[in-house]
Amino acid sequence: MAKQKKKLYALLENKKYGFNLPLTETIKIGKREYKIILKEDEKYGTYILWKNRRYPVEISLSRQNKFDILFNYVCYSFTIETPFSLKRKQYLDKTKGPVENEVIKAPMPGKVIEVLVREGDNINRGEPLLILEAMKMQNEINSPVNGIVTSVNVGSETSVIKDDILLEIRII
Amino acid sequence: MNIKNILIANRGEIAVRIISTVREMGIYTTVIKTAAEPAAMYLSKANFIYDDTENESEIPVFLDIERIITIAKDTGADSIHPGYGFLAENPYFAQKCSDNKIIFIGPSPDSIYKMGNKIIARKIALSNKIPMSVGSEGKIPTENKAIRVAKKIGYPVIIKAASGGGGRGMRIVRKEEDMPKMFRLASNEADKTFSDHSVFIEKYIENPKHIEFQVLGDKKGNIIHLGERECSIQRKHQKLLEEAPSPALTDELREEMGQMAVKIASAVGYYSAGTVEFLFDSKGEYYFMEMNTRIQVEHPVTELITGLDLIEEQIHIAEGKELRYKQEDIKLEGWAIECRINAEDVQASFSPSPGKIEKIIMPSGKNIRVDTGVHAGSVIAANFDSMIAKLIIYGKDRKDALGNCKQALDKVWIKGTKTTLPFFRMLIRNQRFLDGSITTSFIENELTTYHINSEYEEMLAAWLATWLFVDENFDESSLKIDFEDAKNINPWLLNKRINRH
Repeated sequence: MAKQKKKLYALLENKKYGFNLPLTETIKIGKREYKIILKEDEKYGTYILWKNRRYPVEISLSRQNKFDILFNYVCYSFTIETPFSLKRKQYLDKTKGPVENEVIKAPMPGKVIEVLVREGDNINRGEPLLILEAMKMQNEINSPVNGIVTSVNVGSETSVIKDDILLEIRII
Repeated sequence: MNIKNILIANRGEIAVRIISTVREMGIYTTVIKTAAEPAAMYLSKANFIYDDTENESEIPVFLDIERIITIAKDTGADSIHPGYGFLAENPYFAQKCSDNKIIFIGPSPDSIYKMGNKIIARKIALSNKIPMSVGSEGKIPTENKAIRVAKKIGYPVIIKAASGGGGRGMRIVRKEEDMPKMFRLASNEADKTFSDHSVFIEKYIENPKHIEFQVLGDKKGNIIHLGERECSIQRKHQKLLEEAPSPALTDELREEMGQMAVKIASAVGYYSAGTVEFLFDSKGEYYFMEMNTRIQVEHPVTELITGLDLIEEQIHIAEGKELRYKQEDIKLEGWAIECRINAEDVQASFSPSPGKIEKIIMPSGKNIRVDTGVHAGSVIAANFDSMIAKLIIYGKDRKDALGNCKQALDKVWIKGTKTTLPFFRMLIRNQRFLDGSITTSFIENELTTYHINSEYEEMLAAWLATWLFVDENFDESSLKIDFEDAKNINPWLLNKRINRH
């Protein structure tokens, strides 16, 4: 195999950050290089020191090439790709077409009070799907898309935890 | 009568806040230790601790009227401060205290009852000619009645719980066909939250500002106001940031609304600290919304601009002493902003993000006040409120306070849970907020993301993700990562953290 420049890409939604290998502990901005220092100590826990400022960091998920980084309290979900895997991914994304199903998950732990739709119902974006009680509040979960309800996984009084699948909608 | 020992029937930051004043006054404090939080910060501040960890009742102690009264008697406390929430706005509790010769540090049971019942409060406001949005006279028993009343008032309308407050049991209805469902929802939620399903209907004021007046009254009938707070930064009726004064009020309006607040408070013979809430629309009209008959979470912003200690005044008033200030003594100076730093995930619609606070370092300085009830090791439990700390900032004017706030936010260091910090860091750079023109619908209608977007921070996070990937996937000998200060990185700790998830 021909020797190509080693590189890794960190993908975030539709953004791409490229890093040359071996990975250095610097980031170049304009003409200047800035040192990145990753540290852990008793007072601050784990943090990154950059341009004389500490930023709290936390790794909230690490699975194969997926990393959720909590950086200064903001969560970023990255997928790391090599130049080869990136090409493959781009090819697959192109052939797969757009996502058709919208999965509605519980945004917080709670109890389902009432399901307002049934399988086969046609619903519009913004219409209420069900009522979830959490923190003593009754929250309406609204549809983020136009579509047809393909499955309802909960009923009234069902207790759910965060990210439980409540129902699925086929996007039209 | 002089108060000598106060039982604090609350926990968290408000318990700590109350103790800090009470100690200065040379009065003893008694707090309650619960099984849920046996190492809470407030316990370390008080003179006496009542150990209630063996309590096996299903009712949490801070909601248990009989038990609180018993504890007060057992510990020899001569008075009870309820803080906010829990028992603070329960007229029956205030009455029970009085029946047992315990001083309730708050208003009379009668004022709590009248202002707590929103239908009665509306009637009182109406008969005192306090500006109010049009609404139903009395409660609405059925969906059909709701439809008839709403038609007369004109949509949009808002359904509110008669015993409500804090945004619970409220539903906005924009068209008639939604009424039956919304009526049912509001009524159910009211029943669940307040054990009273009765609701009433008001004309819904579109895009208002939330402006509230702090009042202070004594048992001799003197009553004054301490200016206003603006609390328009809300999400689902939960306040996130408050400031005093409000950028929307002129001196004339402040005087007029302040007098209205005093008038309604006087109408129920109010004493102690209380808050009269108004909605303020784009035309500069204001409408009485409700009165909160307790000390509020956001009281520190008023303290910073008036120089008063509201807890001290509450105690003073509870002892039966005359108000120490006349209206003309109250001068509003400077600007104060409070950010509620909660354990919430702003990227998941502010859902609670409970967990253990591993590190907490709050900024300090002459324009900074921090009210908190947690320290490193404290747990933000899923079933308690999600507040970690209140960051309260002072400045000589709004611009100065905003600048100080921006700096202070960058100095807050919390590890262990997600926090509302990214929201405030975004907000403090938002032009609409900086203008002071935002309304209560700002968060839900005008923002697409609830957190700061920083290009550099995102890039550094990308670097860290890549670093972790390299660390896990490449042979170290072939790909040496040469860290400056490598001795300070503990790869074991990092790996442990990675493997845990």
